[in-house]
Amino acid sequence: MTRKIAIYGKGGIGKSTTTQNTAAALAFFHGQHVFIHGCDPKADSTRLILGGKPQETVMDSLRVYGSEKVTLDKVVKTGFHDIRCVESGGPEPGVGCAGRGVITAIDLMEENGAYTEDLDYIFFDVLGDVVCGGFAMPIRDGKAQEVYIVASGEMMAIYAANNICKGLVKYAKQSGVRLGGVICNSRNVDGEREFLEEFTAAIGTQMIHFVPRDNIVQKAEFNKKTVTEFDPTANQALEYKALGKKIMDNEMFVIPKPLDMDELESMVVKYGMCD
Amino acid sequence: MNCEVKAKDRVGTINPIFTCQPCGAQYVSIGVKDCIGIVHGGQGCVMFVRLLISQHLKESFEIASSSVHEDGAVFGALDRVETAVDVLLMRYPHVKVIPIITTCSTEVIGDDIDGVITKLEDELLAVKYPDREVHLVPIHTPSFVGSMVTGYDVAVRDFVKKFATKGEPNGKVNLITGWVNPGDVTALKHLLAEMEIDATVLFEIETFDSPLMPTGDAVSHGETTVEDLQGTANALGTIALNRYEGGKAAEFLEKKFKVPAVIGPTPIGIRNTDTFLKRLSEMTGKPIPPSLVRERGIAIDAITDVAHMFLADKRVALFGNPDLVLGLAEFCLDLEMRPVLLLLGDDNGRYADDPRIKALQENAEFPMEIVTNADLWDLEDRIKNKGLELDLILGHSKGRFISIDNGVPMVRVGFPTYDRAGLFRHPVVGYAGATWLVEQIANTLFTDMEYKKNKEWLLNVW
Repeated sequence: MTRKIAIYGKGGIGKSTTTQNTAAALAFFHGQHVFIHGCDPKADSTRLILGGKPQETVMDSLRVYGSEKVTLDKVVKTGFHDIRCVESGGPEPGVGCAGRGVITAIDLMEENGAYTEDLDYIFFDVLGDVVCGGFAMPIRDGKAQEVYIVASGEMMAIYAANNICKGLVKYAKQSGVRLGGVICNSRNVDGEREFLEEFTAAIGTQMIHFVPRDNIVQKAEFNKKTVTEFDPTANQALEYKALGKKIMDNEMFVIPKPLDMDELESMVVKYGMCD
Repeated sequence: MNCEVKAKDRVGTINPIFTCQPCGAQYVSIGVKDCIGIVHGGQGCVMFVRLLISQHLKESFEIASSSVHEDGAVFGALDRVETAVDVLLMRYPHVKVIPIITTCSTEVIGDDIDGVITKLEDELLAVKYPDREVHLVPIHTPSFVGSMVTGYDVAVRDFVKKFATKGEPNGKVNLITGWVNPGDVTALKHLLAEMEIDATVLFEIETFDSPLMPTGDAVSHGETTVEDLQGTANALGTIALNRYEGGKAAEFLEKKFKVPAVIGPTPIGIRNTDTFLKRLSEMTGKPIPPSLVRERGIAIDAITDVAHMFLADKRVALFGNPDLVLGLAEFCLDLEMRPVLLLLGDDNGRYADDPRIKALQENAEFPMEIVTNADLWDLEDRIKNKGLELDLILGHSKGRFISIDNGVPMVRVGFPTYDRAGLFRHPVVGYAGATWLVEQIANTLFTDMEYKKNKEWLLNVW
């Protein structure tokens, strides 16, 4: 049974980095078959897995060949440890509708049978917030059943996480999607772990893993690699290995209870980040 | 090669040949019994389509709109679907099947109709209508994808997908007619009856040739039942007559339930009808009875009466739904006519691989043009400005002014044909269709001869 996972979180929080590093760890350390579907118009969700190779996006392919001629061999590339990758792509900034691009790309992949049954995990790496119906596509009926939110101890990341939970509540009834937890991608701010633990408890979920900040992630990125590929013995690789294991063993799937603005503000004040 | 397939090389569309996907889905929906569709979008997505279908069939029928306004476009409009389902169920106690048909606006804003159906099933239907059989069917038909033809194809598949349920083999044949008229359904059912074949006909729109009865009920309904649709999974096989209007459903049944699929040919003309009957015979083991051999003979007699003398070498332009146009073009060739221009109104990339188009390309003995993504200006411009000489146009009523203004006679065929009486009653498929078509074509040319005083005396001595 394939587990379909959507990763959300504030822009710039490290969703793509976390997704790719976790996927690499799942494949390398745990022998899992993984597929990454990048749902960001910038199409930067798979470069670490593919070693920086530019990937023709589904939308590029659609533009050039037309929707009937989009085939898997044009858009699906295989990278590190047989991880299969596809990028939705999207319009130029400022024009068209990126949300529609996400819908179209996922529909096309399903129609072409990209999500094969031998897969253990499919990750949908989604741009930023659930800003419109298009960006909710990965959590719609029959698609991702679990969501992880990437956050840090920064105020705006928590706001965004809370907002994403509001979107999740809406879809929880319609599609059965559940929140699997919050991944803390540490920014080394004070009281980060405690803040996130309190926040996740308040919305009824867990902080599934605290990923410490480590420069090796950036170093690996410069080398167009995930940490696991760059140096599987590094501490950070083991952190992603641990995160992968926790996702594999996770049994806590909830409908979150997002906080209202007052509750959120008082929590922020408590951790002294409003000064 | 004498026959070129090319896409319209002009930006923009002048007088389109097709309308958009929701129209096809709505045409499918009206064939289902106890069914009223909800079109999720602005009201025009229903109003204009319903008008078109109503003009064509000269009947009244029901389709609802979720009537999305500005607020719905901003905030999401699924609440309107929820309200619409509730209102329909309250207002129409007989309604069992409600397809929810999306449009361009609601697809772009990403309204999750699959999700809202799950929600409605768990809440509204379970709580307010616990004892009522209700089926909600999601049909995604964004208007900016494909055309009314693909919308028809998608909707047939989605109905079949929703209901088809594996059970005991039922020994029936699934016959997916494609986008046809009530008269075609009658003709097809006649062929099946003569061969003593038990079939599930998708969709039963024969009833849209409705009587006006003393009871005064002026609303028409389709006759395909939920049970019919459920049983499609247990059939001997599926024959989808039209590759682009039902082919997807046939492929789905083959893939999911191992029901063998035969796609095509559109049984227009003698040879296509022959092939159709042979395939029916192969699928069921039933012989083709002498009664049909006789009907075939009548059709051939009708053709022989006029073909060589009046139809030979006549230059014909055809436009409309691809299966219809290709079937008619093949028939024209058999009648010794010259189908010189075929206009297909959308840009389906699969046309280029269609074996019928390939056969036309290989065998064309005169210059023939096939234009995809075509509009009616492609026809008008060629007649007015490019010296295209035509004796006949075969197409639907949207081409009437080209015919009138340029003095080219036109036989109305396809959808919609609202400017001639009763055309929905006459088949173009089967031997009966071949007979009717050839005589319509001949009579139209005769009227033109008289009108233009062009050898009209010939008809005295024929």
